[in-house]
Amino acid sequence: MMIKLIKKSWLWSLAAIVLLGFISMGCSSNGEFGSSADAAEKVYVAPGEYDEFYGFFSGGYNGQLGVYGLPSGRHIFTIPVFSQAAVSGWGYSEETKPMFQTTDGFVPWGDAHHPELSQTNGETDGRWVFINENNTPRIARIGLDDFKTQEIIEIPNSAGNHASSFVTPNTEYVSAATRFSVPMDEEELQNMDVSIDSYKENFHGTLSFIKVSDEGAMSVDFQIRMPGFNYDLSHAGKGPSDGWSFFTSYNSEQAHTLLEINASKNDKDYIAAVNWRKAAEYAAEGRGKMIPGEHYRNYIDHEEGGVAKSELIEEVRVLDPRELEGLVYFLPTPKSPHGVDVDPSGRYIAAGGKLSTVIPVHSFAKIQQAIEDEDFEGEEMGIPVLNYNSILHGEVQNPGLGPLHTEFDGKGNAYTTAFISSEIVKWDLETLEVEDRIDVYYSPGHLMIPGGDSQKPDGKYLVALNKITKDRYLPTGPEMFHSAQLIDISGDKMELLLDFPTEGEPHYAQGIAAEKVMDNQKRFYEIADNAHPYVTQGEKEARVERDGNTVHVYMTTIRSHYAPDNIEGIKVGDEVYFHVTNLEQDWDVPHGFAVKGANNAELLIMPGETLTLKWEPKKAGVVPFYCTDFCSALHQEMSGYVRVSPADSDVEISYGTGQ
Amino acid sequence: MDNQKRILMALAALLLIGVYFVPIWSIGMEAPQYPEGLGMNITVDNIVGKEKNDLNNINGLNHYIGMKEIQPDSIPELKIMPFIFGFLIISGLIIAFTGKRKWILYWLGLFVLLAVAGLVDFYIWGYDYGHNLNPDAPIKVPGMTYQPPLIGSKQLLNIDATSLPHIGFYLSLLSMSIAGLVWWKSKEDE
Amino acid sequence: MQISKIAGVLALAVVLIAGCGQGSETENQTETDGDTKKEQELTDFEMLNGVGPVDEEITIEEVDEELAKEGMKIFDMKCGACHKMDNRYVGPPLGSVMNTRTPAFVMNMILNPDGMLQKHPIAQSLQAEYITPMPDQQLSREDARAVVEYLVQESQQ
Repeated sequence: MMIKLIKKSWLWSLAAIVLLGFISMGCSSNGEFGSSADAAEKVYVAPGEYDEFYGFFSGGYNGQLGVYGLPSGRHIFTIPVFSQAAVSGWGYSEETKPMFQTTDGFVPWGDAHHPELSQTNGETDGRWVFINENNTPRIARIGLDDFKTQEIIEIPNSAGNHASSFVTPNTEYVSAATRFSVPMDEEELQNMDVSIDSYKENFHGTLSFIKVSDEGAMSVDFQIRMPGFNYDLSHAGKGPSDGWSFFTSYNSEQAHTLLEINASKNDKDYIAAVNWRKAAEYAAEGRGKMIPGEHYRNYIDHEEGGVAKSELIEEVRVLDPRELEGLVYFLPTPKSPHGVDVDPSGRYIAAGGKLSTVIPVHSFAKIQQAIEDEDFEGEEMGIPVLNYNSILHGEVQNPGLGPLHTEFDGKGNAYTTAFISSEIVKWDLETLEVEDRIDVYYSPGHLMIPGGDSQKPDGKYLVALNKITKDRYLPTGPEMFHSAQLIDISGDKMELLLDFPTEGEPHYAQGIAAEKVMDNQKRFYEIADNAHPYVTQGEKEARVERDGNTVHVYMTTIRSHYAPDNIEGIKVGDEVYFHVTNLEQDWDVPHGFAVKGANNAELLIMPGETLTLKWEPKKAGVVPFYCTDFCSALHQEMSGYVRVSPADSDVEISYGTGQ
Repeated sequence: MDNQKRILMALAALLLIGVYFVPIWSIGMEAPQYPEGLGMNITVDNIVGKEKNDLNNINGLNHYIGMKEIQPDSIPELKIMPFIFGFLIISGLIIAFTGKRKWILYWLGLFVLLAVAGLVDFYIWGYDYGHNLNPDAPIKVPGMTYQPPLIGSKQLLNIDATSLPHIGFYLSLLSMSIAGLVWWKSKEDE
Repeated sequence: MQISKIAGVLALAVVLIAGCGQGSETENQTETDGDTKKEQELTDFEMLNGVGPVDEEITIEEVDEELAKEGMKIFDMKCGACHKMDNRYVGPPLGSVMNTRTPAFVMNMILNPDGMLQKHPIAQSLQAEYITPMPDQQLSREDARAVVEYLVQESQQ
């Protein structure tokens, strides 16, 4: 305070006052804020009590989806999605390996970005959460009854699947787009072996619309072929703008090197406004072209005991906006816009022009009028470009530096992250006046209000997803978790309540009232309904079967023993499959299975479930296996032995428990 | 000038040796995303970050808005300054040795002139850095320039830049004051 | 002085009890019930037929073959990992269990193992002998009835 006062006063002109030089060296503030008992009370969830909201936070480069309780910020679970997870055997067990199948083969890692809850009538419904993978373009669907990844679909003709996975108001579609344009053959639309500097000539983007069935099954319904810009983020229209989707683009310069400079030259880039309902009609009529577009769809087959299946789809329908009228319009938007967010009323479309000094807000009504009047300022590769001034609702002045993303509270306010100036700015959707601003620590990317991108936000809390952590927690060397901050937005002034660390890099997050999800929770799988081809429905059926070099162990677990737990007759060079069925039928009694010398992972088998670990013993001896999850007072007793004999030995298969 | 005053004059000159060891001026930058602040110190022959990589980080930030990179090697003033102070030290010592009072005034006059020239030069340097921006910069804020303050604090976008003299500058002031005192006190000697 | 101290302690106790989280109130309730009931004598009916959802006597005159077959299937899937007919395994052998226990007792043991272990002295002594607690295998009442039919059949052999 004192220092600030002195700094701003005329005293500085008295340079001869030596002392001040020293004061200046000692002054740096760490953004102290009013952390108080009041804030603590607001985030306190007493032992045994539940949080008010589920938060689903993308794990970024860890490829998974983090589950957090809000307002406490407690990290309550991590759902394995795009990365193998040794913790449970996800991607290691035979049942889940097919989930990682792509046209590039088995891809064990992914870069998860934007989770999006399924919606019904524009409101989050707690059925599924979708999340995109940026590096090997894919979208996953996670069931919120068992918090497991149910399906992963690959996006063909794409690279850098960033503008994804945003849903339409009734989850008719999940959208995706190319952040990195790819070379496309005019005829075949397949990757071509071309020189990179032929970018302008050969490279194109695609916007993909993935249809979601009532059961959740995903299929690429159609792709829209676009100019070779970088399509960055998206959101679907709602209310009056339902039927439309909006995709930001940057690099309308079409640079292919040093994008930092070369893609930042134009004063305006574009938001692509896509009439997806019309596109869906065109697709249903068989318009456009079916062209090669190999991609995998992997899904957990519940008909067959939860074993994942992979199917290869070879073609995809592509619509060309130059040929099909009224499909796509470009909205000029300053400058390399990043986020594009549609307000709950569906009337306004806010763009985060990350290099811009204002937030442009487009009016959907004006866009419709301009389209009707053909009020175009030109066209870009056959796509009409609307007139900026004709479609603008207005610009938010002085919104902070580096505006990226906006969410809404349903009370007429919008909240935008300013990355460079490290703050969140609250503004009024009608007057476009800045109402409040709050510093966050440090440099927020996305922000999340539960339901904040739907038609019915729960405008109570806001979470800032900060990109830089630095000194917020006890230091952990050069690498550290990211940091989220919970802000109370129930009053006129935003109030910072809580810092909490988040694993990986949570690009985006979704929040939902707990009761929408927790009432549908599975506690275990019904063993009688287990249709796994290698299920062991009762200890009587436990057995070991040899088929040439392949050995199938039908194993059961229950507190606290395996059946069989003594196995002989395995030989070096065998491929042994442990099909472990957990016979428990109670909540929270998983059993683990780990065998010495396995080169993959453990299994963590939920009650009523069957999982399979492949094991290839390499040397003779007796090898123990044991339960990794402390299951009962006799957990330490839950173990067994496998005798491995040399390849040429004649030890017969034998097995048993308790004999 | 009696011996005591000669010694004081010598002290005034010798004080300037300190300038070679401490910064003369410093520019600090504070921003929410830099909790520990960033800063650079100007020494007699160099510009160095307050922390090891501060200068790199400042240059990194500046490139977004199109400011030139700060490269100490390409600033001629930093090459000349050590000699200027060297000349002041040696000439100050000669004056102390010879005890010619009138020369103290010339010495002081030259010193003040050089100091003022230095500040003017510093201002011009700051003006150039702040105004002469790369037209291809990723972020262009209409009407915004980034000239750091000559002395005091200034808000540049979200960064609070503070420019202040450092110990070297105060040593120079002290040296001037002592020399001035010697000149004043030795009035009755003549 | 003394009285006020006692009053203070009592008041504190009341506050503490009242302050137990609302969400877990029911759980606390059953816990205290359990503690106090342990001291209490069970009714004769409960001693004979166990504690749980089955609160009426069940008699089996003649074994229903179909039901027993159904019961065997369920037994093998959900019970057989711990119970054999002839030998002690993780749990007690069940080949002649129906000669010593009533159908209702066995059904309550299947359907309410936690409650039985908390309240019933027979279940408690079994637990002391076998250590591993009987888990709740989520059988429906019909399932449990079928399992008992199967066990009766086994006991008659």
